[in-house]
Amino acid sequence: MPGRVVTVERRPRPRAMDSLGALAILRGLAVTSRHFFRNLWGFLRGRPTIFTINYPEEAQQFAPAFRGMPVLVEMPDGKERCVACGLCEWACPVDCITIYPAETHDEVERYPRVFDIDMSRCMFCGLCEESCPEEAIVMSDRVAIASTHWRGNVWHKQDLLVPVGDLEKRLGSIRRGYDTRASEPAVERESA
Amino acid sequence: MSDTDAGSKAPGTVGLDELHGEPLELQMGPSHPATHGTVRISLKLHGERILWSDVQVGYLHRGFEKECEAGEYAQAIPYTDRLNYASPIINNVGYCLAVEKLFGVEVPPRGQYLRTIASEISRLSDHFTCLGAGAMELAAMTPFLYCMQAREHMWDLHEALCGARVTTNYVRIGGLQSDAPEGFAALCREKLAAALAIFADVERMLTENPIFRDRLEGTGIASAETLIAYGVTGPLLRAAGVPLDLRRTQPYLVYDQLDFDVPIGKTGDNYDRYLVRVEEIRQSVRIIEQALAALPDGPIDVDDPRLRLPPKGRVFNRMEELIDQFKLVTEGARPPAGEVYQAVEGANGELGFYIVSNGSGRPWKCRCRSPSFSNTQVLGEMVQGALLADVVPTFDMINMIGGECDR
Amino acid sequence: MSQSLVTALASQALEGIVEVAESRGELVVRVLPVALVEVCTTLRDDPAFAFDFLMDVTAVDYPGREPRFEVVYHLYSLKLNHRVRLKVGASEASPHVPSVTPVWRGANWLERETYDMYGIQFDGHPDLRRIYLYEEFEGHPLRKDYPKEKRQPLVTRADVEPAQQRRQRERDSERYGRWQ
Ligand code: SF4
Ligand code: SF4
Repeated sequence: MPGRVVTVERRPRPRAMDSLGALAILRGLAVTSRHFFRNLWGFLRGRPTIFTINYPEEAQQFAPAFRGMPVLVEMPDGKERCVACGLCEWACPVDCITIYPAETHDEVERYPRVFDIDMSRCMFCGLCEESCPEEAIVMSDRVAIASTHWRGNVWHKQDLLVPVGDLEKRLGSIRRGYDTRASEPAVERESA
Repeated sequence: MSDTDAGSKAPGTVGLDELHGEPLELQMGPSHPATHGTVRISLKLHGERILWSDVQVGYLHRGFEKECEAGEYAQAIPYTDRLNYASPIINNVGYCLAVEKLFGVEVPPRGQYLRTIASEISRLSDHFTCLGAGAMELAAMTPFLYCMQAREHMWDLHEALCGARVTTNYVRIGGLQSDAPEGFAALCREKLAAALAIFADVERMLTENPIFRDRLEGTGIASAETLIAYGVTGPLLRAAGVPLDLRRTQPYLVYDQLDFDVPIGKTGDNYDRYLVRVEEIRQSVRIIEQALAALPDGPIDVDDPRLRLPPKGRVFNRMEELIDQFKLVTEGARPPAGEVYQAVEGANGELGFYIVSNGSGRPWKCRCRSPSFSNTQVLGEMVQGALLADVVPTFDMINMIGGECDR
Repeated sequence: MSQSLVTALASQALEGIVEVAESRGELVVRVLPVALVEVCTTLRDDPAFAFDFLMDVTAVDYPGREPRFEVVYHLYSLKLNHRVRLKVGASEASPHVPSVTPVWRGANWLERETYDMYGIQFDGHPDLRRIYLYEEFEGHPLRKDYPKEKRQPLVTRADVEPAQQRRQRERDSERYGRWQ
């Protein structure tokens, strides 16, 4: 589609503006005072219009698609859904996942004996979640990963397990994309 | 700025040139309160005049190209976010278009429209950052805070699309990470309106402000010939009157189906660069509105297991797709051997990716042609002979982004 | 688009062009190092090409090949809206390529970067020093034989100061002889 090329117009400088710098100051003051009084009014009415939030007291509301730290899905029986296939380990660009698989007599046969994520290296990219064939690792909306020692940033399996019920928001968001390319009807996930 | 020459003198007085002295050496940076971006500018001054300058970049060098060569094609996408972190999605798009060109595939229309919308959202966030930070470094703090507020709205849109505000990692080879959420068009219109409302206040405070105009008008002038000789593209070149915009001259995605204007300036000074960016903000909003209206339904990814992971719903239940998933993750996408150069219009100019493939799952060479690098190079020429105070607005309007310049 | 370019290149029969090929719709021209500056000047000035932009300079390392390095230039023409990729070989033993800074001033930093990353020497470059890395850095990190994880010792202030001051003095006397 042909569009135009436009030349930006430079407005002539009004003499009054130049000689009377106060005019520009008043103009700026008008803008900032409008913001100030609007915010004050919002504050008085208890409906703040300011952009920031009082962080520790109020929590930020994240979008459903929000990618926080990767966590392991814990099934209702208290076990992880992960089968230690190692795909997430492979997909991770910064190699921050460490898995040692082991065998079990459960139906899934394999489980991760060790599942560590080094949160100080993780960049919350979500590639592990995308590569997982079991929906076992998902990006939660947790972001608090501070620790006082670098070793504290290596999260072990027990720290990473999150009950599946707490992850509904993110799971709902990623499940939207499960069959976007399907020419056939959507396939329901069989209950594990 | 007033330009009484430091060397000229009234009769009967001693000119500066005749005073015994030596040039003053001044190091601006690497972290200087009046420059956004880690760069060191070595200056030699004669009074307030700049005799010579040497711009030293590299403080943010992280070995982007080496990292890309070490990983699979898909694993480089998060690193491209960190090139121009003010407009991350444009980098994602550029890189993925280059790899798709190697494969010879094209994503479906909905994917293309979403990429276009996301790119323009990123461009807006970049321009808000540039104008806000530019004003702040000229000591106008309020416009900066308002611009950050406008940028937050753009980042809310990033978050709604892909779940991250800055490190987006949104575009995939052969598609997108995820489809737009429900109600995205409405959210987008609301956020754009909010951002434009705040930005109108910024304009009210800056555009006609005599101090702001004094600092920007007539400073940092570079002719179109100089800029072209230095390979400068983007708003800088357009402000000098050259309507080069890759979205128009070599359209990619769906830009050829959208109606937008290319703003150009006349004199190529800093004020023109400011005005061009302000106008580009309006044009980006126009593009987003048209693209939202025309957003088709349908798939966002190519259905090709060579390069795009199969839909999860089928991976869970079917053997073939599960094998595809394993193969693609462990081996990576393997484009046929060859090389491509793909350029997109980044927020600061031509952002090109030159990728050499030897047929394996890892790029043999992944080169990023970053606009900031070429643009920063011309700073020395722009401030030659100017006053020291002109370095700040010139550097602001060049909008050097360290992550992209130093890679 | 590139068809007219190919015919223009063929009709000009420029000295020093080894090969003209097309890959994925992009024109690739292989040039002999000795003729590089001449070819570039023609490409810039001839109205049939009008390549006024030097977009990018980089190199690709192919260990085991001869010549080992390939220096790659991307050109763009504003008027004719076309692109071309130039390639010049550089051997491992003496990686020398003539500099194109006389043709495009913007080649300055791009060639410095290529020198920094690959160790290609650009003959005739006005100021060929490292651009990203510090001058005490050993080796060229984008060569394939440079390990990604390799660490280099920290350079302390005492190591660099004398050398830096010397360089500074040299630069100063060059530029401000009259003040020294
Ligand atoms: S989010 Fe990214 S960096 Fe973090 S563990 Fe997953 S793949 Fe690795
Ligand atoms: S990809 Fe999923 S199932 Fe496989 S090891 Fe990782 S978390 Fe476990």
